[in-house]
Amino acid sequence: MSAVATAAAPNQNQQEDGGVTQNTARVFDEVLLEVKDISLAFGGVKALTNISFDIRKGEIRAIIGPNGAGKTSMLNVINGFYHPQDGTITYKGQVRRKMRPHNAAKQGIARTFQNVALFKGMSTLDNIMTGRLLKMRTNMLLQAIYWGPNQREEIRHREYCEQIIDFLEIQAIRKTPVGRLPYGLQKRVELARALAMEPELLLLDEPMAGMNVEEKEDMCRFVLDVNEEFGTTIALIEHDMGVVMDISDRVVVLDYGRKLADGPPDEVRRDEEVIRAYLGVGH
Amino acid sequence: MFYREAGQYKSDYASDQAIFPIRQDRIGVLLIFLFALLVIPFIATNYLLNSILVPFLVFSIAAIGLNILTGYCGQVSLGTGGFMACGAFFTFKLTTWMPEVNILLIFLMAGFGTALVGIAFGIPSLRIKGFYLAIATLAAQFFLIWMFTQNPWWTNYNPAGVITAPPRALFGNFYITGIEATPVNKYLFLLCFTAALALVAKNLVRSALGRAWMAIRDMDIAAEIIGIRPMAAKLSAFAVSSFFIGISGAAWAFMYTASVEALAFEVTRSFQVLFMIIIGGLGSILGSFLGAAFIVLLPIALSNLPAMVGLRLPVDLIAHLEFMIFGALIVFFLIVEPNGLARLWQIGKEKLRRWPFPY
Repeated sequence: MSAVATAAAPNQNQQEDGGVTQNTARVFDEVLLEVKDISLAFGGVKALTNISFDIRKGEIRAIIGPNGAGKTSMLNVINGFYHPQDGTITYKGQVRRKMRPHNAAKQGIARTFQNVALFKGMSTLDNIMTGRLLKMRTNMLLQAIYWGPNQREEIRHREYCEQIIDFLEIQAIRKTPVGRLPYGLQKRVELARALAMEPELLLLDEPMAGMNVEEKEDMCRFVLDVNEEFGTTIALIEHDMGVVMDISDRVVVLDYGRKLADGPPDEVRRDEEVIRAYLGVGH
Repeated sequence: MFYREAGQYKSDYASDQAIFPIRQDRIGVLLIFLFALLVIPFIATNYLLNSILVPFLVFSIAAIGLNILTGYCGQVSLGTGGFMACGAFFTFKLTTWMPEVNILLIFLMAGFGTALVGIAFGIPSLRIKGFYLAIATLAAQFFLIWMFTQNPWWTNYNPAGVITAPPRALFGNFYITGIEATPVNKYLFLLCFTAALALVAKNLVRSALGRAWMAIRDMDIAAEIIGIRPMAAKLSAFAVSSFFIGISGAAWAFMYTASVEALAFEVTRSFQVLFMIIIGGLGSILGSFLGAAFIVLLPIALSNLPAMVGLRLPVDLIAHLEFMIFGALIVFFLIVEPNGLARLWQIGKEKLRRWPFPY
């Protein structure tokens, strides 16, 4: 995949400026999630002002912007953590009412965090199995007895988790408590846990922050593979412009809680305002 | 040297997810259980059974219960004594109201009743955490004890405010409460009952529910994102925990002391059980047993030790020394191994696997 090869090499990327990647050629019609005129304020601080954009089924949607632009707040609004004062969110054709994060999870929205939010006391496998909780059906009594239906269900979900473990190449750390893992692997386990939910919409909050080039390349590969093999729609926040321009289909740019630009990577990159606010002007 | 899993290949997930995946562990636990079941009743003195093994088993159940709530779900509770009292008084009321119903069933019903009380007092946990929750559960402790002491209905209008265990048989002539119950009967019943309850606890914590509890404990925000409803997870932990603690309270009143007043379940009892799980190991079923053994055995060992080595000390000095050494040991343990005896045991096992070639 050429996108992977160039993912962490912005220099090379700039050389072939303009005519890049097959990603731009992908066309998506069906809107999975639409946010409209979202405004969010904490007291007098306006985190988001009149933000509107959509995420289409099957695409990789990047949200970029300088620090404090409201990117993470936007994700928090999408998965029900924050309740915007204004605006509507339409998910799968239905206008969403005020909801809690676990409702969003039930509807198929998974999420990873900027600062890893794993269950530190549990093993990698248990963390991933936790992602299957919504799919598990046996009641408390059957779980207390364990043998019988509950064991069958545990094994069935274990099989699914093992597929994800294979997919993300973390077989060796299955039984390791996640607190002992290095940062890069923790991020991968967090992605595994999100994938175990079989999400339709996957929100990634800086999946490559703090990684070295090699880890970044791996993560890019996983993100693209997830998108391609599972058909998962992905919305990601990322600061590495090389990565964003290469793997995303469309980019929305936020600054001070406002939307600056929205469109395919190439278009966004040439946008005057975006360059001034975020990418930087050459002096 | 003999303790290693070399050569034990697992070919299916069921054996990988077993409680004791290593064969030596399975054999060891089975041997201990068989020894406790078949040998101890014949060789143990009444003192050993009545004053050591029975309270150990009773406290083990309570420690498992509190460990589910505090160790696995991360909700600190100081209401253990109150919930134990619930179990004791519910059992008393139920069994005097329906003498013909089997006592085992009564114990379970009292457990379920306590679970409901636990849910009611667990509701604050949806809003508050940590120390503040501990204070809220302290309210449960004081309220419940107050209710049982102030309300003579609970003791069937006993003038001394004491409940006395009526004779009840598990089956036929096998009396486990009251004067007819022999120490061996009580011990055997409690042994099997505790083993069964421990198995239930272990099954719960290795299933979906247990993972939900641990997820809430480790990071409640991420747990909610995954689809865990914090309310359901926390309240189920309160319910299951109170169920165990209620049963242990019933066993305390009916099988250990045989007659009890509500003040026996004062806040010191709550602290005692809390110490057990902290010393034994938070989030470990084995740790609950180790902690209970430690807290039950240590005072006895301390009071007997000077006599054993031929030292004649005044009784009051022994009593005070006991407190001091006990406190010092707890502090020592917390510094050396904050994760408790269960963690020490785990480290020991890992060392044993490599022995005698530790590289």
